[in-house]
Amino acid sequence: MFTKKTILITLVALFLQGAISCSRAVVTTPDVQAVSAERITLDPNDKVWDAAPLHSSKLILQDLVDPRLMEASTQEVFVKAITHGGEIAFRLEWADASQNDLPGPREFVDAAAVQLPTKIEASVPAPQMGEAGKNVEISYWRADWQAIVDGRADEIAALHPNATVDHYPFQAKPLENDPNAKASAEMRYAPARKLGNNRSGPRENPVEDLIAAGPGTLSPGPNAWSKGKGVRTGNGWAIVLTRPIPEGFSQASPTQVAFAVWEGTHQEAGARKMRTGWVQMLQK
Amino acid sequence: MARVNNWQLGREMSYWYPESRPQKQFAAVFDTNKCIACQTCTLACKTTWTSGKGQEYMLWNNVETKPYGFYPLAWDLNLLDMLDGGKWNESGERPVYEGSTIFESAPAGERVLGWRPEDQDYSYPNVGEDDCAGQIDGGASIAGSHDMAWFYYLARICNHCTYPACLASCPRGSIYKRPEDGIVLVDQGRCRGYQECVKGCPYKKVFYNAMTGTSEKCIACFPKMESGIQPQCFVNCIGKIRMAGYLNTPENARADNPLDYLVHIKKIALPLFPQFGLEPNVYYIPPVHVPTSFTRQMFGPGVEKAIETYRSAATDMDLAGLLGLFGSSERVMTKWRRIGETITGLDDDGNILVNVPLKEPVHIRPAFDTLHQITRVNCP
Repeated sequence: MFTKKTILITLVALFLQGAISCSRAVVTTPDVQAVSAERITLDPNDKVWDAAPLHSSKLILQDLVDPRLMEASTQEVFVKAITHGGEIAFRLEWADASQNDLPGPREFVDAAAVQLPTKIEASVPAPQMGEAGKNVEISYWRADWQAIVDGRADEIAALHPNATVDHYPFQAKPLENDPNAKASAEMRYAPARKLGNNRSGPRENPVEDLIAAGPGTLSPGPNAWSKGKGVRTGNGWAIVLTRPIPEGFSQASPTQVAFAVWEGTHQEAGARKMRTGWVQMLQK
Repeated sequence: MARVNNWQLGREMSYWYPESRPQKQFAAVFDTNKCIACQTCTLACKTTWTSGKGQEYMLWNNVETKPYGFYPLAWDLNLLDMLDGGKWNESGERPVYEGSTIFESAPAGERVLGWRPEDQDYSYPNVGEDDCAGQIDGGASIAGSHDMAWFYYLARICNHCTYPACLASCPRGSIYKRPEDGIVLVDQGRCRGYQECVKGCPYKKVFYNAMTGTSEKCIACFPKMESGIQPQCFVNCIGKIRMAGYLNTPENARADNPLDYLVHIKKIALPLFPQFGLEPNVYYIPPVHVPTSFTRQMFGPGVEKAIETYRSAATDMDLAGLLGLFGSSERVMTKWRRIGETITGLDDDGNILVNVPLKEPVHIRPAFDTLHQITRVNCP
């Protein structure tokens, strides 16, 4: 037989459960609604985001190409979007208990990306990296680049505090009387940097602009226009990615957007990722 | 997956891409019996190529003591544990591998069967150095030979495989095998540091550089090879254990090509873990003093015959002569010949690069110097 106390506790519990679930349910939208804002911000905690509707995207496995994840990791990403002038900003937030921003052997970093079709057309590109003749544009943020932008030194000791380095040859006094000799010598031991590979630090921007026309075709974009910033939340990451508003995007002409998240703890990189399909994006 | 011919397995196998052999294939023979693990090769490579930031613990060339030496830690044991392999059918003219390769064992969602070393695994390149396989009883080393304990040195570089697992693993096609010489390279402009190649290479000869954000590997000193000069780790080898050149397939083997002669005709140089299925192109003359139960797993079923032939070099003027050409010139000797007791290394155009006598002339200096009326001593 139920006592009054039991009934009271049950009622309180049901009320709290309803309040928690309702708090999420009432604010999410099935599409991404980019609202006009008074300014563009890189700060995920800026109050300008308060006016933007919240969209929740379920993340699914990249399942088109090998190698790939076989077990899902990050479940969903919460998205807001604002526009101002010619710029659009996306705020992505997702749960991730561990902060992975140290790259290394078997060490992978947290990352996220926003993907848009290069052209707004009735026939959209394939959602997984686009397709031949139907390019997609990607703004890609990484936690290790964020750490470098936030002040981490471009030294092995910053990654491995106990690493011992006797000497780098390029630190010796150069024989030739050339002020650039040391930098030039250092470049000889870092061919990726010499070739201008965006992957290669040091960096001043935690975001990279990329284009793709299908899996395996990811390349540096023609414009380095994306900016961004990521911060840790209580239980994950909140990041902002900004870029020019897609050409032709208006209230009368919506477009599609897709998102991807890489979880460092699960050794996710490249095609091993959680992603969404295309989500409709409206200008409000 | 395509079907390709792997002559080292004696059969076709599955590979990510169709068979496409280069015009010529960079290859090498290492004589493990002559290696003293002085690490001069390691340092020659290190100072030439990997002295940059992020390459501090990166050794494109390393020498490890077998059975207990590894770089990175347990690189071979980890994969051998995972691979369903080991069976060779030796009933026919050529042994046929009946186990699975790392391509044929790829789990769902993967292109090859592989594993990822962590940074700690690279931190002890000299682990197990000079550790014997067994205990030596007190006084045994003084009493004489002791067959119960053994070790040997295994010098390793990238194998520039015919079917590279690093190349198959890369989802971006950032790794390529040069059609002109078969050298396998990572395109440093295209690589995005996914580390799939590091996971896929069974020999763990691709390394992730955290400072450049890309993976890097042995380049077979291709600027030198293009000039007809052997790589740094070859020309600096004080034990003269190495010879670099180009290898043909067995059906196209030429007796005047030194590598063809050693690999295909005399069959004294064997691939490293052929059962992995990559058709690696660095060939090893196996150690003569090690139990073949161990070396068969590492070099395949030809070990006993290779050792028997190697031991017969004392009565085989051609084989002894060719082994004497190792380390005799920094040039790439694509041809060789023996006339009488003179062994000659030549280039593709037939130009003589070096002449080596079959037996070094012996000069005996009398202990007493009659000119200066003084007894010679060995120290200055």
